[in-house]
Amino acid sequence: MSRYPLPRILEFMRTVEPFDNMNEDELHQMVSQMEIAYYPRGQIIMRHGDEPSFLHIICVGSARISIPDESEEDILVDVLGEGETFGATNVLDSKKSVFDIAADEDMIVYLLPAAVFKDIVAGNPEFNEYFSYSLAKSIRAAHKYAERAVPRLPDINTLNLDMFLIGKRVSDLMFTDVLTCTPEDTIRSIARKMTDRQVSSIVVTGSSSQPLGIVTDSDLRSKIIAEGLSMDTSVDRIMSYPLYTIHPDAYAFDALLDMSRYNISHLLVAEKQRLAGIISDHDFQMETGSSPVGVIGDIEKSQAVNEIIGMHSKINRVLEMLVRQGGSVNRMVALITELNDRVTRRIITLTQQEMEAEGLGSPPAPYTWMALGSEGRREQTLLTDQDNALLFLRRPEDDQEKVKQWFLLFSERVVKSLVKYGFPRCPGGIMASNPRWCQSEDDWEKTFMGWINDPDPFTLRMATIFFDFRPIYAETDFLENFRGSLNEATKANSHFLRSLAKIGLANRPPLGFLRQFVVEKSGEHKNKLNLKIRGLAPVVDTARVMALDVGISATNTHERLENLRDMDLLEANLYKDVREAYDFINLLRISHHLKARSKGELPDNFLDPEKLNNLQRRMLKESFSVINRLMQELIEWRYQVHSLGEA
Amino acid sequence: MKLFLARIRNRWLQARMKGRSIADLARDNLSALDYIDVNKDARSFGYVVVDLETTGLNLKYDQVLSIGAFRVVNARIKLGDMFNRLVNPGRYLHPESIKVHEIVPDMLSEASPLSAVLDDFLDFLGTDILVAHYAAFDLHFLNTSMRKKYGFPLQNLVLDTIPLCRNIAFPPHHYPYGIDLNSLPSSLDEIAKHFGIDIFQRHTAIGDALATAMILQRVIARSEKIGQGLLKDLIKAGALFLS
Repeated sequence: MSRYPLPRILEFMRTVEPFDNMNEDELHQMVSQMEIAYYPRGQIIMRHGDEPSFLHIICVGSARISIPDESEEDILVDVLGEGETFGATNVLDSKKSVFDIAADEDMIVYLLPAAVFKDIVAGNPEFNEYFSYSLAKSIRAAHKYAERAVPRLPDINTLNLDMFLIGKRVSDLMFTDVLTCTPEDTIRSIARKMTDRQVSSIVVTGSSSQPLGIVTDSDLRSKIIAEGLSMDTSVDRIMSYPLYTIHPDAYAFDALLDMSRYNISHLLVAEKQRLAGIISDHDFQMETGSSPVGVIGDIEKSQAVNEIIGMHSKINRVLEMLVRQGGSVNRMVALITELNDRVTRRIITLTQQEMEAEGLGSPPAPYTWMALGSEGRREQTLLTDQDNALLFLRRPEDDQEKVKQWFLLFSERVVKSLVKYGFPRCPGGIMASNPRWCQSEDDWEKTFMGWINDPDPFTLRMATIFFDFRPIYAETDFLENFRGSLNEATKANSHFLRSLAKIGLANRPPLGFLRQFVVEKSGEHKNKLNLKIRGLAPVVDTARVMALDVGISATNTHERLENLRDMDLLEANLYKDVREAYDFINLLRISHHLKARSKGELPDNFLDPEKLNNLQRRMLKESFSVINRLMQELIEWRYQVHSLGEA
Repeated sequence: MKLFLARIRNRWLQARMKGRSIADLARDNLSALDYIDVNKDARSFGYVVVDLETTGLNLKYDQVLSIGAFRVVNARIKLGDMFNRLVNPGRYLHPESIKVHEIVPDMLSEASPLSAVLDDFLDFLGTDILVAHYAAFDLHFLNTSMRKKYGFPLQNLVLDTIPLCRNIAFPPHHYPYGIDLNSLPSSLDEIAKHFGIDIFQRHTAIGDALATAMILQRVIARSEKIGQGLLKDLIKAGALFLS
């Protein structure tokens, strides 16, 4: 190919990341399809809701990125300058712009048509990674918006996931004109009403118009057809209750989470016991057609372990999409945990059925499948391996050896299926298939009491994983009693708590003298920060120690901190800062994972602080110093760790 | 008014050419004005922004060395839609001019003469509006060749960026009473500098054409801002009509 007659344009493109890696021919090819636009200062280049048809590369001038706000001034999110680009994620995901983008100064912008840009990214997988990198920033911006957003009138036609994820409230999405009936009405009459009004649900209300139950179109179909009920049956025979309700001011994402959790398609919106509206999973259908609610339906309906394993990529896609869309970190990880729980639970149920079908018998004793570690705390991200254990009831009449053998066989099958599904084995062997971690209730109690009464480095490490347990599949509620006796034991034992605190303090946030980041000194991750160990673990560990100390039974870090604040053990402002800091680091970590995934690499927790922009670096430092304060003020003071020697 | 006269002249020319056998390219050029609707937005038209490098500045003796042009559509410059050709002047290159345009005789050995390049340019130009900086200069060379080959000058609407800038793009405070207009920037370098446009390859036809196209963008943006964004406003401000 002959030389491009204006090499200066190619030279400029060579200064623009990530195009700087393209060779002469590729650049020439690309530039030949570009256009130059001029935008005078103040001109709106792209509006919130526009679907950009170009990648914009700023050659001269700067662009103001803001979020529209009808009541006040726009919220400035960022200012982009020469050599920076905008519109990439929108073009790549065919998403509408969340932002208003205007020329802050007179601008000369190179425009790369969407189709060409997509082709280039398709041919250069590393570009994908580059263009999704500013994600953390965008998520955070969207999050900021969510906090300040004033609810607007819903526009039914433009509802899509990104809109409510960045701050829609339930009241924005709910349908206020709720169809109601009395319990005495017949199925025939309500079916007519629903058809006439073309709605998918009707709320059954009592004499003082308090909601009693709900009938959805799927109830009608399944109950009448399957159970062969007469059309003259009264509604109270088929209605679903209890009703799940949500407050109109709750975030729409919470509604989504509740629907996922309870596997329901409609939520009533109620304020002070009064019915304010209704919200259904139709409002949550994503452009791709698969919603988390739909995926959960698929999980529940699956009939074989292999079927679930086959759904892995689809579930993963939904999760990744949700995470990419942003929203609050806490909700993101809650939703990830919710889906992972359901997958695990379904695999357990189906494995049980398969073993029965193969003549291997049913569980010989009541048992509980425990989630440990981050899964136990409901803090899973996309990078997750297995941490689980099994606890069964010892009954005098059982042959203990045989019982244990059955559960080991069962656990091995579940663990294998989980691996096939995509949760790698725990490198430390903390899995129910390990005879050490598949025990009867009293053996567990002995194990835990041993750890508490005679802590050593290994058992303390185990305690940090095991004491965050949560039942995932429970046939009885004995885990609650178990939790109770564990709390009693730890509450009294200051030696154990001090040792645990000391372990926690070993992972100090990586801020050195003059607040420089302290990075790994050598090895594969030289000059990188371990976000999990240095950033998140200190918070998690601190919250755990204190929770165990005062008998809080929550395992989720946010909940633990909240309980501590409520008990006046954590100052309200520090609590708020710690929450922010924890979420920010988690967000960085999640976006780091997404980045690795889009590169096709195995995600890790090591982040190069040099790769962060100034704002992110500043926030990360701020976050670390907040966490330092938490550890300083509370642990050292309360547990006098120094008396045990230097941490 | 001048456009009106140009249309009449064009009608008359079309009538005169009727029945004569001329090349398709030339015949297409005859209809260029048919597409001009002065009440439409200026940005909705296609423009070909052209620059010529010549052996010197003498209209009578000097010859074209290269033609560079970019197309501007919807006020955006299409970087792939360009015309960039060397022209064999068929004569000796003066060393002084070589210093300016840096075209040495060797480079021209495979270049075609203007009469051949003209056809390709006509094909590129089509019926778009022709724009140049100090358009009379470039138009002179193009029309000389047109007349020689086809017997009539280019029929396209022609805009000149110098008066366009003066009448539209330079802010009004450049015009206090009695100030000599000549003190306003008028060379390509000055105007580009005024707008902060970096000319990528000064004194190459293609580089100057790109700079001129970027100046046209400023003119269009400015005309829209002051509520004169219709084609007739640009014509009033900077059209070049042959007398």
